[in-house]
Amino acid sequence: MKKKVEFLLNGKKTTLEVPSHRLLLDLLRDGIGLTGTKEGCGTGDCGACTVFLNGKPVNSCLILSGEIDGAELVTIEGLRCGPELHPVQKAFIEDGGVQCGYCTSGMLMMVKSLLDENLNPTEEEIRFALSGNLCRCTGYAKIVLAVKDAAKELREGSKG
Amino acid sequence: MSELSIVGQSVGRIDVEEKVTGGAMYGYDLVLPNMLHGKVLFSSRPHAKIRRIDTGEAKRVPGVVAVITGEDVPWTHGESIKDQPFLAQGKVRHVGEPVAAVAAVDEDTAQTAVSLIRVEYEDLPAYFSPEEACKPDAVAIHEDFNSYRKADFVVGAPLPNVCEHFKLRTGDVEQGFRSADLVLEERYTVPVIQHAAIEPHSAHAQVDPVTGRLTIWVANDAPFRALIELTEALELPKEKIRLINPLQGGGFGSKGGLKVEPIAIALAFHTNGRPVRVKFNRQETFVSTLTRHEAVVYIKSGVMNNGQLVARQMTIFWGAGAYGEKSATVCIRGSLPAPGPYRIPNVKVDGYAVYTNKPVAGAFRGYGIPQGAWACEQHMDELAQRLGMDPLEIRLRNVYVEGDVSYWGERLHSVGLKETLLTAADAIGWDKPRSNTVGLGLACISKPTRSPSTSTAAVLINGKGEVTIRAGTVEIGQGCNTILSQVAAEELKVPLEKIHMAPLDTDVIPFDASTTSSRSTYHMGNAVKQAAIHVREQLAEMAAPMLEVNEQDLFFSDGNVSIKDQPHMSLPMGDVIRRRLGTDGVLKGEGSYTFTLGKDLDLETGHSDHASAFYMYATQAAEVAIDEETGKVRLLRMVAAHDVGKAINPLNCVAQIEGGLAMGIGSALHEELVIDNDGKSRNSSFLDYHLVTSLDLPEMIPIIVEHAEPEGPYGAKGLGEPGLAPTPAAIGNAVARALGVRIYDLPLTPERVYWAIKQRK
Repeated sequence: MKKKVEFLLNGKKTTLEVPSHRLLLDLLRDGIGLTGTKEGCGTGDCGACTVFLNGKPVNSCLILSGEIDGAELVTIEGLRCGPELHPVQKAFIEDGGVQCGYCTSGMLMMVKSLLDENLNPTEEEIRFALSGNLCRCTGYAKIVLAVKDAAKELREGSKG
Repeated sequence: MSELSIVGQSVGRIDVEEKVTGGAMYGYDLVLPNMLHGKVLFSSRPHAKIRRIDTGEAKRVPGVVAVITGEDVPWTHGESIKDQPFLAQGKVRHVGEPVAAVAAVDEDTAQTAVSLIRVEYEDLPAYFSPEEACKPDAVAIHEDFNSYRKADFVVGAPLPNVCEHFKLRTGDVEQGFRSADLVLEERYTVPVIQHAAIEPHSAHAQVDPVTGRLTIWVANDAPFRALIELTEALELPKEKIRLINPLQGGGFGSKGGLKVEPIAIALAFHTNGRPVRVKFNRQETFVSTLTRHEAVVYIKSGVMNNGQLVARQMTIFWGAGAYGEKSATVCIRGSLPAPGPYRIPNVKVDGYAVYTNKPVAGAFRGYGIPQGAWACEQHMDELAQRLGMDPLEIRLRNVYVEGDVSYWGERLHSVGLKETLLTAADAIGWDKPRSNTVGLGLACISKPTRSPSTSTAAVLINGKGEVTIRAGTVEIGQGCNTILSQVAAEELKVPLEKIHMAPLDTDVIPFDASTTSSRSTYHMGNAVKQAAIHVREQLAEMAAPMLEVNEQDLFFSDGNVSIKDQPHMSLPMGDVIRRRLGTDGVLKGEGSYTFTLGKDLDLETGHSDHASAFYMYATQAAEVAIDEETGKVRLLRMVAAHDVGKAINPLNCVAQIEGGLAMGIGSALHEELVIDNDGKSRNSSFLDYHLVTSLDLPEMIPIIVEHAEPEGPYGAKGLGEPGLAPTPAAIGNAVARALGVRIYDLPLTPERVYWAIKQRK
């Protein structure tokens, strides 16, 4: 069954006819061609497909396309502000938080969500926030370091 | 080479901006025009004859383009034993084996058709442990084993289902045991685990209807080896096959050989030229691609009262799973150094790779070293305890040092092992007293690399001074693009921003053996270095007359060719090229590096005077506390000291060590792919298969030790694999010291530890 949905995608008004049962993840990747959102498990266990739905991070493999009518969606492609990388993206590059990069999109969305709410997270809070995002390459140490550095950068930026 | 400029610097990765913005294109992301979608019917039986397959109903589903079975594709493949069909032929050998495949206009249609295929099976006895499968009365899983095409080093044994028997014979172990003050024999086991790269497996294939040329898009870690395997399997000339390598979202050994490729290719021959995409989901990736060998390890040692080892005998049963894949070489390269990095005069090893009815086992980061180390390194602690010695002391007394001859007959050099032991012990505070509930443990390893092997590369520079590297090393997340760029930048003295890595396509990139076995920095590093030097020499030859000096009076810096002592007399490299070769001229340098064995490995004794291009050495130390009520092991700290030869990029070395360590911790405490007695996996999802999360890791202290390897680029060895190899044994030793009881089987789950505590009381 097809349904017409209207939603904001990375700030742009988008109207589509979608099969209601199609996963949001598949709609983004195969339907719209935004492949930055990654599929790791398809069952909500790895966090690689994390996007913002109305400001909250969700696993896009657990959302049906029919549910997004009237919603605001932000994907990894919408994270940077213009040509500039977001401080979180910069920190991941500088601190060595990226290896194969397949978990990175979901990881960055989750970090952004954490820092939107808490600009001064403890290491424990960072690790807890990222515990639903699996990474097989890094051992998380450099990712945690990058989150700390991004938080510092954002704190100093917001002061200045 | 005088002073190094960019080699040795912790520069950031050159290729990750596209990864943090979502722009990077991985194999799983790829969409081709007009492509069809492939789905697979997998075996539900562990071992059965196929009586009949009915595809009639599936073929009638609207939108279905092709439905194929093993009868449509007669081909087989395998690294050293050609035993694996593209689709099951006549029988199935594990649950999850591909039996039939469908190509259709979309995934839902393909899946619907798959669900309509009917298969009649006749069950056969199935074996789920390598020891069971090679008992004298076991039924053959491969009746036609003797007629398969095989590599020279594949040696069978007079036991059922053995697909490789490795033998090491040095001295006389019986004599050694008789002369020893203490003899100890133990049995250790390691379960099946899975690579679990976050990107699942996929492949795209297309057969050009006019030329018959086959193109495969796949994130394979050894595209040239895959190409060779495919030319053999399909009996096509090399020119008829092309592999294009999109980015790989992690592999750890699972994405070499042929996995999803055979299905995509088989379908592509039946779609009239339309490309086919086959994506495995997570569950399919768990059971239908590759796993790590389970192992049963018997170890017996004779030791003198002063701790000196006099004899060691090991018998190792490697669970190959249903097909040979890389089992023969895992068996050889895992069994050879299994007795540990120690001077032992009398050694006997028998390694048996044994077919079972479990998912296929093959290459996994570490290639057999972690299994041997889990046994050997805990056994060393048991010996020490019985002798009343410190575990560090017994190792220091026996470990290889510079100039030692190994028990396979090779004189060793660049041996940084002792230094890793001492620095790891120091960093964990080995001598500092701890409370009774805290245990310390350490373990050390050496690891060879795949040998012999070849890497070739080309380095190109244009009239703008822009450099392109053509190298067949696959960026699987390990950072090779950055390391190889640093090598080229060092030799050409150009800024890193000027360097670009060409994408990997077997039509245009020169040959490389594989991105495996921690071999790339050493082999491809040497090849790229040589190619860059070749460019530099040609540039000097061109620039000398322009600057009216001799070539030897020139030097290179910041993208310029200058006269020594007169740095203002200089030309940008791009200008030199434009003047000599024209505006669009490109200068090309070529490099090649091959490591050849000394004497080939002797199949009767396992001896070789130069068995590996280099050896990697490492020691890890663990500090644990145990919750005695629940049996939970709480890791407090891990130290990992690794001899890397020379750190070309220290930040990247640390990142590799940390990543390896995390994987090692997972394999120590959580990971096991559970296969039940019906052959079905019980935990083939990320919900049930426990990968380490950000909450499961302790403080990690990576330490880089540099004992330069003279043949390596700038002294570098490899590093990718050893990070996880000693980890479980180090943790196991710490747990044993905290508990006062040894656990012989991995993983160290709370349940297993709890029962060990109960037994002790």
